Amino acid sequence: MKKILFVYLLLLALALSACIFDSDETVMADWLADQGVPGGYEVQTLSIDGLTPISSAVFMDSTPKLANDRAVLGRAANISHDIVFDIAFYDSVFFADLKNADSATAYLAMYVLRPFYSSKSYPTDSLPLKEDLALNISWSLDKGSSMAFVDSVGDISDSLWLARLAKWKAKSTVDTTISISVSAKDTIVKIALPSELLSAMKKLSKACHLQLKLSASEAARTYRFYGAGTSYYPKLWVVFPKEKSYSEYDPYRMAQIVSNKETCSDCAVLHGGVYDSLVLEYESAPIMKALSDFYGDDFPYTEGNGDDVRQTVILAQLTFARDDSQGSSELGLPIQVVVGSYTDSSGKSVRQMESYRLNKSLIATKGHPNMVFYDGDSLTLQVTYGMRDFINRARDGRNFKMMMRMGYPVLLPKDSTYSDRITSKKDTSYVFFSHFDHSRYDFTSSLKQPATMKLWLANKRGNE
Amino acid sequence: MKKIVLILFSLVVCGFASVIGLDALGEEQIAGGMASTAGRGYAGGAKTGDAEGLSVLNPARNAFDTKVVFNVNFLLEMVALEKHGDNFGVNNITMPSFNLSFPMGGFGAMGLSLWQTYSSNIDEEVSEGKNSIETSIEYQSSIYEIVPSYTLRLPVIRNFALGASAHVVMGNSMRKISMGPNTEGLPDSDTWAVKKIEVSDYVDGTWEIKNHPAYYTVALQYRGHQSSFYFSYTTPHTLLNELSYNFRMSELDTLAPTKKSREIEVPALIATGMNFRFMKRNNVMLDLAARGWDKDIENVGGSFNMEPVTKTQKDMLVALGLQRDGSPLFYDPYLDRITYRLGGWYKTWYVKDVYELGGSLGAGFPLGRKGTTLDLSFQGGKRFADSGRAWDEIFLGFRIGLMGVGNWGQTR
Repeated sequence: MKKILFVYLLLLALALSACIFDSDETVMADWLADQGVPGGYEVQTLSIDGLTPISSAVFMDSTPKLANDRAVLGRAANISHDIVFDIAFYDSVFFADLKNADSATAYLAMYVLRPFYSSKSYPTDSLPLKEDLALNISWSLDKGSSMAFVDSVGDISDSLWLARLAKWKAKSTVDTTISISVSAKDTIVKIALPSELLSAMKKLSKACHLQLKLSASEAARTYRFYGAGTSYYPKLWVVFPKEKSYSEYDPYRMAQIVSNKETCSDCAVLHGGVYDSLVLEYESAPIMKALSDFYGDDFPYTEGNGDDVRQTVILAQLTFARDDSQGSSELGLPIQVVVGSYTDSSGKSVRQMESYRLNKSLIATKGHPNMVFYDGDSLTLQVTYGMRDFINRARDGRNFKMMMRMGYPVLLPKDSTYSDRITSKKDTSYVFFSHFDHSRYDFTSSLKQPATMKLWLANKRGNE
Repeated sequence: MKKIVLILFSLVVCGFASVIGLDALGEEQIAGGMASTAGRGYAGGAKTGDAEGLSVLNPARNAFDTKVVFNVNFLLEMVALEKHGDNFGVNNITMPSFNLSFPMGGFGAMGLSLWQTYSSNIDEEVSEGKNSIETSIEYQSSIYEIVPSYTLRLPVIRNFALGASAHVVMGNSMRKISMGPNTEGLPDSDTWAVKKIEVSDYVDGTWEIKNHPAYYTVALQYRGHQSSFYFSYTTPHTLLNELSYNFRMSELDTLAPTKKSREIEVPALIATGMNFRFMKRNNVMLDLAARGWDKDIENVGGSFNMEPVTKTQKDMLVALGLQRDGSPLFYDPYLDRITYRLGGWYKTWYVKDVYELGGSLGAGFPLGRKGTTLDLSFQGGKRFADSGRAWDEIFLGFRIGLMGVGNWGQTR
């Protein structure tokens, strides 16, 4: 009984407290103001003019990459794209037939990437593509005698195969010229393989492992094909005209190898569709001086451990001069420049990709500010994470470092929703074209002109 | 009993107590915040009995106890903040202390207490005007002490006992103030960048004593036939609060914190009290405690227009109490077995120009025949704050103490 009474007492006390001491938000806000807590943090903008990088460097990843999805052959924007096929099969009947046949021919059948060439965004007037393609075909052919041999090829992991490819030397090489044509209706490109390859195969009897590389580094353009992992995988055909028969083999996997043919080593040139990046480094002093003039405090911060939390960067954007005549593109679409910056992670510098905050009214009237091959003469990139980290830790004398690379072509340059969506019952409108443009953009002259950093800063200092 | 404890535990949610001195040390839990002591207006440090238990200000007292005492205290506090007739109010439930005292006859008595000496607590949100993001303020700071003590009756003059305790300080502190942007100074064309971005000023840290493992209290207790008194001295010490300040977008998107530490020089505390027993079971008691703060306390502060220091004053407690002890005989009427308490106190806070006046009413209900007691106390009063930042506070406190008594180690 007493226990129940006690529980009632407690509940009564709580109920009483709710009635007597009712919280009033406006009074609470007054109290907060009396404690020196404002209703919102102060936001100020600061523009820092005249920034030029103290260093700029281009890095390109030319290690072989798996091309089981899409494969590119040819050359565009001073980048040559080669394809390597990994083919292995066990077929003693085929090798017996091949030995007896004297008129056998071999060729590769590759399916062109129809979604790219038939896309609305692809300039239709550039089709048909016709070219006498100077092709270098090189290969290495290994002899095997069992199914186990073929399996052992499959047992090599993709990453190991790619790593070996980087050091791979073909045993035989043949230069040839083929006539290539891709029109609106074409689906297949046939690449005749040299007779030297067939005569080498004649020496085998049961199984083989063929690594075949196609290189067209003097081509006028690039040609895009389906990769080995798709249902339109390339096929190796060996035709026996007299016997009216053929054998067909498909590649186990494919790799893409790109090589940079740029001649200017100091130029800040970025390419679309390959893994390259432009890394810029800006000196600390002018930024620190601008902050110091703005706040009237010492920068970098020296109290405590020196990590500065007096303010934080809500948004930072860096605006460069832009001259599109310094670049070339296949599709003529605007291309987004992707940005990352180098921030600190437990004492290590890591590259962090920047997020992109939308200035909707600007985008609706002038388009996204972070595109090249578009109207206007400036390129504005957001480097919020980088600047936030840089100002926070500037005490150790670090410089501000950022990275940019070419992104996807933009289909909706003035669309401020910035997301793919269904526009009517049937039609989906996409922000980006899902294929890279093999473009080239030279930032050398842009970087020589001073850039402007604009910062939105949240301030924690008191103003009394 | 289990149910009650369960309900109480489920209600232990951190909320809001006094908000005076939030940025300095917070609210003090006077005399360990024990329900029995609070029921008589925090007086009675000198009262002896067979199961009085531990007093954090007077570690000598339990030398005269004969029974093992364990108690747990709960506090439900309701505070209304008031200025110019406007007020708002909030609640807090907390556990100010656990105490264990263990008499060992001729070998003296040991005690152990876990005491939340100071705490800052608030967690409120305010939506202001046109800003779509609520401003929220959250403080969670507790200075805890683990207080082992030992006391012994003196050899020849057996009416005197000498006790000492060590206060091992620990605890942590956290402050978080979140708010949306104030874009008044920005041109319209620039506001897009900060829309809906909430930023938090976040400070967290730990409490300890600088350069020492603990600070100490020594006390002398006299037990007379009718009157008892005690005198205690607590050493000065420096509290060290190591803080890291952040200004962050979210829990994951933070800056590298600025690390700083603040030092709070806590002066010596002297306390004395007397208890006069009359008509067998009635007691009148008076306690005094004083701590002469002479330096300003550095605040957590560090942000916006929050004050960098809290000005201090002499911190003093005058407590007067009455208690009618319950009959120890199980076969007496229940009403006669209840202990009745009444008291009042006047306290000047360590925060300059803050005074507290309070009164309380308490009772101790014996449960069963083993001496287990449930102490309840109601307190009410007002804190007068003359300074601009602190507001007046009207408070109501409801304390519950569960006291378990045993006779371990005692020969019959």
